[in-house]
Amino acid sequence: MKRLPFDYAVRNLGRSRLRLAATIGGSALVVLLVVTAAAFVQGMRRSLTISPDSTNVILLASGSEESVERSQIGNSVPSHAIAGISGIREELGTQFVSPEIHMALVVSREAGNPEELRTVLRGVTPTAYLVHPQTEIIEGRAPRQGHDEIMVGQLTHEKMGISKSDLAIGESLWFDDRPWEIVGHFRAPGTVMDAEIWMPLTDLQMAANNEELSCVILTLDTAEFADVDAWTKTRLDLELVAISESEYYASLQRFYRPVQLMVWVTAALMALSGLLGGLNTLYAAFSARTREVGMLQSLGFPRRAIFLSILQESVLAASTGALMACVFSWVLLDGVAVRFSMGVFQLSVDSGATAAGLVAGVLTGIVGSIPPALRCLRLPIPSALKAT
Amino acid sequence: MAFIECRNLTRTYTRGTNAITPLDDLDLDIEEGMFLSLMGPSGSGKTTLLNLIAGIDRPTSGSLTIDGHNIANSSKSELAAWRSEYIGYIFQLYNLVPVLTAYENVELPLLLHGLTRKERHRKVSAALDLVGIADRHDHYPRQLSGGQEQRVAIARAIVTDPRIIVADEPTGDLDKSSARAILDLMQSINRDLGRTLIMVTHDPHAAEWAQKTLHLEKGRLVEQDVPQSTTAGAT
Repeated sequence: MKRLPFDYAVRNLGRSRLRLAATIGGSALVVLLVVTAAAFVQGMRRSLTISPDSTNVILLASGSEESVERSQIGNSVPSHAIAGISGIREELGTQFVSPEIHMALVVSREAGNPEELRTVLRGVTPTAYLVHPQTEIIEGRAPRQGHDEIMVGQLTHEKMGISKSDLAIGESLWFDDRPWEIVGHFRAPGTVMDAEIWMPLTDLQMAANNEELSCVILTLDTAEFADVDAWTKTRLDLELVAISESEYYASLQRFYRPVQLMVWVTAALMALSGLLGGLNTLYAAFSARTREVGMLQSLGFPRRAIFLSILQESVLAASTGALMACVFSWVLLDGVAVRFSMGVFQLSVDSGATAAGLVAGVLTGIVGSIPPALRCLRLPIPSALKAT
Repeated sequence: MAFIECRNLTRTYTRGTNAITPLDDLDLDIEEGMFLSLMGPSGSGKTTLLNLIAGIDRPTSGSLTIDGHNIANSSKSELAAWRSEYIGYIFQLYNLVPVLTAYENVELPLLLHGLTRKERHRKVSAALDLVGIADRHDHYPRQLSGGQEQRVAIARAIVTDPRIIVADEPTGDLDKSSARAILDLMQSINRDLGRTLIMVTHDPHAAEWAQKTLHLEKGRLVEQDVPQSTTAGAT
């Protein structure tokens, strides 16, 4: 097929700076929405995903499989588990068994301060660092038992809606009518733990007047999930249920799937309005060139060649907008913290989100140019040559 | 057989329930190498006839044979290919591409001919030289006067060395002296290159440059003028 030079499409972009800006802006808006939606869904998914090679099993109260915070199991479960389940991971004589309390609590920065800062506290023992190897103390130290000390995650301030400096080492948070000094910062990237407050298990039990545990987390070695599951079924007196950690987080992901779907639908609807705006601009741009299109046909250029050139021009403008939106996303959106009921997750502008944005940009260019191009080429040549 | 032969040539347009027939059962022969002007009031069918000969429109009935081929039955894509070989079109409003230089505008039709860059350069330079605008080859249309733009448009029309050059009111948008220069140029192209030139015009002075003038009214041929100094070729 005889084609118009690519240069023609490139130079046509410069005909009207205003229209070019509108086309690029429209495409950038569409791509930004798509990238943001993808980054939101990806970030949320990551925070609710545990490493696929995780061999952790969570022991919860029967009937509380949906929420660890609602679960209450006896203090003796860890010792029963160690005694009853063989094949739990062990190093230097320490079994990878972590008794934990997970509790949503309202705290404040000062005594008598009416502010209500909602956060999630996790009461732990030193074995918690064994079963959660992704946790790393990045500043300070772990809190000591009996000293009213706590340790905060690197995104805890985001979850609480306060500045990072409010949770600096040496600062305190008030709950149970007393201050709890922050002695350390930790991180557990890509997990909900990143936005939690950790403290010694017994301190939290006392502060909350709760002698029971929320759960016990085991890391398996030679044992398999079925062994743990069978054990919980033989110990009906303990009223336990075993869930693999990966399945627990998978169920959380299923729970949040409608939210993710809504994000996509909202983004799609907004992107559609951006696309329609872009269409309007392209209609105006191409209809102003109807006579030129007629002239090109009179020279002998087939309609397909002109259509291709219009497509190239539109895709070029849309791709420029897409690239700008992707760069903007990397610089300004990637890592932005978003609060949700499970804690905080960070928008993740990864290669998948970027690819989705670029594909959306190219599609915007293609879809946006087809109706105005067809309208422009639909006219018979004599009528096109008379166009004003 | 004449180079261009129209037999019972009719073109009817339908707009809603109304049928308009700007060209009605026209018989016409045009010999190769003729400079012919078409005159007539608005709606007389002169531009319709020009467009049919140029292959950018198709007749409703009748035959239109050019160089032995009845183009009335050609498909759109066949016509497009045929136009690129046989037709050079000069428009009243020049229709230059504003984002291309004079050189690139003239080069456009050559892109349909599979020539090398070097061959294209030779032809474009020759065409620009012929119309006397070689020194403005790198100018954009907005940097040229109306007369200069029309010269570029003429260069674009002749660059592929077409057998027929059609011109629709080529001087309609120009001042007197520019119009005269353009008509002079067209006449020399007809005379020196031997190309068939068909021009639609409202201006009787412009028509005087042609070898023959046909008057159309309501889609029919009503009169033929042959200036003393020219040779008639139409029947």
